Amino acid sequence: MENSLSVILGGWLSAGITIFLFSFLYKDNPLFKIAEHLYLGVGMGWWFIVLLYGTWIPKAYEPFMQGEYLLIIPVLLGISLVTQFIPRISWVSRYGFTFIMGYGAGLVLPLNLATDFMAQIGGTIKPFAAIASMSAGEFINYFLIAAGAVCVLTYFYFSVEHKGFIKKASNIGIYFLMIYFGASFGNTVMARFSLLYGRFDMLYDFSGARYAFATPVIILLTVCFFVYRHIADKKKAGITKTAKAE
Amino acid sequence: MKDRLRRFLNIDRRWLFLLLSVVMIWPIIHPSGIAGRTTQQSVKDFYDFIENLKENDFVILGVDYDPSIKPELQPQAVAALRHLFRRNVRVCILTFISGAPGLIEEIKQTVPQEAGKEYGKDYVVMAYNPNYMAAMTQMSIDFYKAYEKDAEGNTVKGMPVMKGINTYRDMAGVVEITGTGMLDAWVAYVGDKYNVPIIGGTTAISQLGYGPYLQNRQLLGLLGGMRGGSEYETLTGRKDKATSGIDALNLSHMLVIILILTSNIILLVLKEKN
Repeated sequence: MENSLSVILGGWLSAGITIFLFSFLYKDNPLFKIAEHLYLGVGMGWWFIVLLYGTWIPKAYEPFMQGEYLLIIPVLLGISLVTQFIPRISWVSRYGFTFIMGYGAGLVLPLNLATDFMAQIGGTIKPFAAIASMSAGEFINYFLIAAGAVCVLTYFYFSVEHKGFIKKASNIGIYFLMIYFGASFGNTVMARFSLLYGRFDMLYDFSGARYAFATPVIILLTVCFFVYRHIADKKKAGITKTAKAE
Repeated sequence: MKDRLRRFLNIDRRWLFLLLSVVMIWPIIHPSGIAGRTTQQSVKDFYDFIENLKENDFVILGVDYDPSIKPELQPQAVAALRHLFRRNVRVCILTFISGAPGLIEEIKQTVPQEAGKEYGKDYVVMAYNPNYMAAMTQMSIDFYKAYEKDAEGNTVKGMPVMKGINTYRDMAGVVEITGTGMLDAWVAYVGDKYNVPIIGGTTAISQLGYGPYLQNRQLLGLLGGMRGGSEYETLTGRKDKATSGIDALNLSHMLVIILILTSNIILLVLKEKN
């Protein structure tokens, strides 16, 4: 019984907040505001609890209590970041940031240079080593990739004036960029529709008897709310008009 | 005629929202089954990678997304886990995203039971770890320094699922499902550095950015968005949420194309008349 009640309550809450947020598509309204503020509050609460029980207690408090006293160093460095909010001692935060910068740069720079820079240059050139055994399709494919990379780089190369051959190459680069942006935008539309589908699918699930018909009831109540507001607004406008006329 | 066309162009956009909603809800109520073909090589590669794993291999499954992109990525994660279990591979689920533990719990409640898998013996779920860089680096030296306890607070070392696992060298690969830059991190900090095979699943928006990694074989397979998920479900022979979602995507894309074409034709007609 308890389980089914919590399932129903969860369904009503989930469907309700989704419908309230969607109601903004009609127009801004108090239901949307309620859902928006709830979202922000719950998000912050969730974040705090996860960090407290997922990081602070198991990674700092418990080991420290078990005698790992050296942990005080990273903990203090971490806490030093919070001093940013107190202008008088905000300089303390530099110690924490220095550590983060040094550690981050040392780890990230060499690896990212190897993965995103050197490996990509190699990947663009290497296929041409086997040019004799390439099929026509493969050659066109690799040629397009190499030519596209060079032309796009030329477009972003501002140390020489873009005229003559450089201008032609950079113009071709623009076409490559446009194709990428077009494909990227198409994929973005697809991704957004996928998310919309996800919410509709969930609303459909919550419309059944298992969730006490949460979706249709909440939609009906929301529509009633909008009709009521519409009538009330009209009445209010009528009263103001009459008062002004008088 | 001219006025009618103009009125169509100035239609209240809320009617279009309503039309789009109807077009999207219709296939949820009446699935048409238009989807069904796998056309992307990266999806086939993703499938082949898991298909070629040996029994009892050990794989990390990264579930790094929060509820905001669940519709795109949860079907991928579910399908990948089902496939891994079907190959009798040991799975270690972990996350670096604070919003993911709830979604992992959802998966944990259904998929292992279906496959008859036992927690601690066939799979394990690690606790959320906020520092992915430290964890990825530590796992290369000693896995248990990064993950001493699982999500339920049990000691990980000694679990049957972890038998013989100490570093990346003992693992067959990483399957990373994410809507963040975590896949880039796995490729840069683990795949390239320690020669660990990486395959991934990502949102449709991020999919294009991984082209260079795929071309270079730094990434051995990729699922992109709901379409990638649906094609993968087709390959695994178990159609689920991604496949039913593709029906709705097909129809809504058709609606968008029709609206774009119609409004452009109307604009051309009006221009000619002027």
